[in-house]
Amino acid sequence: MTPDSDAALLAAVAEGRLEALRVLHHRHAPWLRARLARRCGDPDLVQSALQDTFVAVWQDAGRYRPSEGAAGAWLWTIAIRKLVSALRGRPAPVAAEAAVTESAEDLVLRAVEHGDLGTALNRLSPELRAAIRATVLDGLTVKEAARLLGVPEGTVKTRVMRAKAQLRELLT
Amino acid sequence: MEPTLTVRELTRRFGRRTALDRVSLEFGTGVTGLLGPNGAGKTTLIRILATTLAPDGGGVRAFGLDPADREQRRALRRRLGYLPQNPGVYAHFTAFELVEYVAILKEMNDRRARHDEVRRVLAEVDLGDRARTKVRRLSGGMRQRLALAQALLGDPDLIVLDEPTVGLDPEQRMRFRALLSRLGESRTVLLSTHQTEDVTTLCGRVVVLKAGSVVFEGGPGELAARAAGRVWLTTAPPAGTYWRTPDGRYRTLGDRPPEAVPGEPGVEDGYLLLLGAEGVPA
Amino acid sequence: MNGWHVPDDLRAAYLDGGLPEAAAMSVEVHVASCQGCQAAFPVQEEWLEESWAAIADVVDRPAPRPLTRGLTALGMPEHVAVFLAATPGLTRSWLLGVAGALGFAVAAAHAADRSMLVFLAVAPVLPLLGIAAAYGARVDALYEVASAAPISGGRVLLLRAMAVLVAALLVTGAATPALPAFTAAWLLPSLALTGAALALGPLLAPHRASALLAAGWLAAVPAGREAVFGAPAQAAYAMALIPFVYLGARRWNRL
Repeated sequence: MTPDSDAALLAAVAEGRLEALRVLHHRHAPWLRARLARRCGDPDLVQSALQDTFVAVWQDAGRYRPSEGAAGAWLWTIAIRKLVSALRGRPAPVAAEAAVTESAEDLVLRAVEHGDLGTALNRLSPELRAAIRATVLDGLTVKEAARLLGVPEGTVKTRVMRAKAQLRELLT
Repeated sequence: MEPTLTVRELTRRFGRRTALDRVSLEFGTGVTGLLGPNGAGKTTLIRILATTLAPDGGGVRAFGLDPADREQRRALRRRLGYLPQNPGVYAHFTAFELVEYVAILKEMNDRRARHDEVRRVLAEVDLGDRARTKVRRLSGGMRQRLALAQALLGDPDLIVLDEPTVGLDPEQRMRFRALLSRLGESRTVLLSTHQTEDVTTLCGRVVVLKAGSVVFEGGPGELAARAAGRVWLTTAPPAGTYWRTPDGRYRTLGDRPPEAVPGEPGVEDGYLLLLGAEGVPA
Repeated sequence: MNGWHVPDDLRAAYLDGGLPEAAAMSVEVHVASCQGCQAAFPVQEEWLEESWAAIADVVDRPAPRPLTRGLTALGMPEHVAVFLAATPGLTRSWLLGVAGALGFAVAAAHAADRSMLVFLAVAPVLPLLGIAAAYGARVDALYEVASAAPISGGRVLLLRAMAVLVAALLVTGAATPALPAFTAAWLLPSLALTGAALALGPLLAPHRASALLAAGWLAAVPAGREAVFGAPAQAAYAMALIPFVYLGARRWNRL
């Protein structure tokens, strides 16, 4: 473990060293911000989720286990949940979809050229894709995904089921 | 030197004891060292300059302000940093909380600005990573640095320090000197000390007090020069007080012992000779 | 990651939102664990520093003491709350002492016939104990430092005394239901003694003034319940409060 590795820095943060948190912030804030921005169109919410993320890291850095995966992935699990919390109480965020600028038609048109998983994913409707992204890629619970996407939990469940069925169909 | 601080005919008695006897001095930008044996009146002078003790006679002017007047005293306190001789602590506070408390006494009411300033002064004394440590768990040297940190709050123009180097190890003392000499570039810094080394390395000016009176005032070089022709090296132990030098000779102060050769006078020699009977048996 | 890294054009497409979902997902999964690709994300220095400053201010802000938190929740300005939390007289040990003394007085009220007199005698002294420990060279370790600060000693003492008084009154009031009979007879003497201690401020150090008044009070109590707590006496306490409040206000304004 080199002294400036993420794992070493997180260990230092767990000991209360502010400088280590600063290095982590400077290293990870730019890509976390971009990734959050793809899930929420409101820059203020993204900013506040990002701040909450590093505040949480300051408090919980001791919980990180290097054996359980890269620090970046761990940071993301915190960041996406902070975004969900930041969205709490907000009116149904159309913003969650706003980052997806491509129309479903464009996607489908481009997807027909290939027959792989990527194409299959791209051929899903934006709603189904968002549901898959939130639950599979971001690892959110149905409840959290519902808050992020601004739809009822039942809708998330149906969309995930429909997306999986469609993917299965497209891949066979 | 344009004086920023003048004291005139300053007198202070405690009961029948006269701690300061008509002391008149001028201080300007830079670091001035206050030397003297215990009971010479150093702390009394420091406390009067720090506005925590009123003189019985005479007066003080700092930046044109007269601390005898309540409003002017308050204005002066806004420009003052003070480290008392035995700085107390709230042991159950963290380092941060302690300095923050003093910052509030210094009217820093805006939280964000106050916190930034507390962090700044803690970093100045290398306690940045101890902000959260309870004061009771800090070592003596750390507590001394913490007390120094509070004296730097608000970047004061007049910094008055009573024996600030007590309890510091050599490395900390060196950093402390670096910090003070930097401050002394544009501020009036006054410190009392027992360490003639502090004076040699740090102070552009020295004041020696003895029994409530000023017995010397000038540069460290002048103080050392007082010992010219009074420092002797011998090969056999001389009469009186002496100490062995690393090269195996004996060093003594005062009249020339038989077969002695002159030694190089230092600030400490000048100081000891000034104190006369108290420091060196004649 | 097999030597593969996010190409610049892919990252650019990802950043402006134009990347198809599957590709975006693979970019995201890769970036989460690739330090090189993380570093390749564009950085706006100003944004980064500002963002960090906001985080540092939160994480490096010490948790306020419980008392500070409580006082700010009640609407007190933050700096006053932080200041009051440093009152030596408001430590847990002082509050425990007050509670203990009250417990004793309540127990005495239940045990003896003359009962309430013990409680009534003890209750007004409790704020004095706090004031004695509130400010002064002997009780405040930072007294010498505080004396050189622009905030005046008189204001420090008054603020702290008020805080101690309120705390003592709350604790004493809370003990009242535990008594055999309701009484509020302690309240006015309590306020009058506190006021007197503060009014004596310019002449006597707080701990001396408090000791003197407490001794005087305890000496007066045996004169009997009617003499010390009757209506004429209560009226006298209320009257005495007027000059004390006046003196206090004057000192406050002069500070």
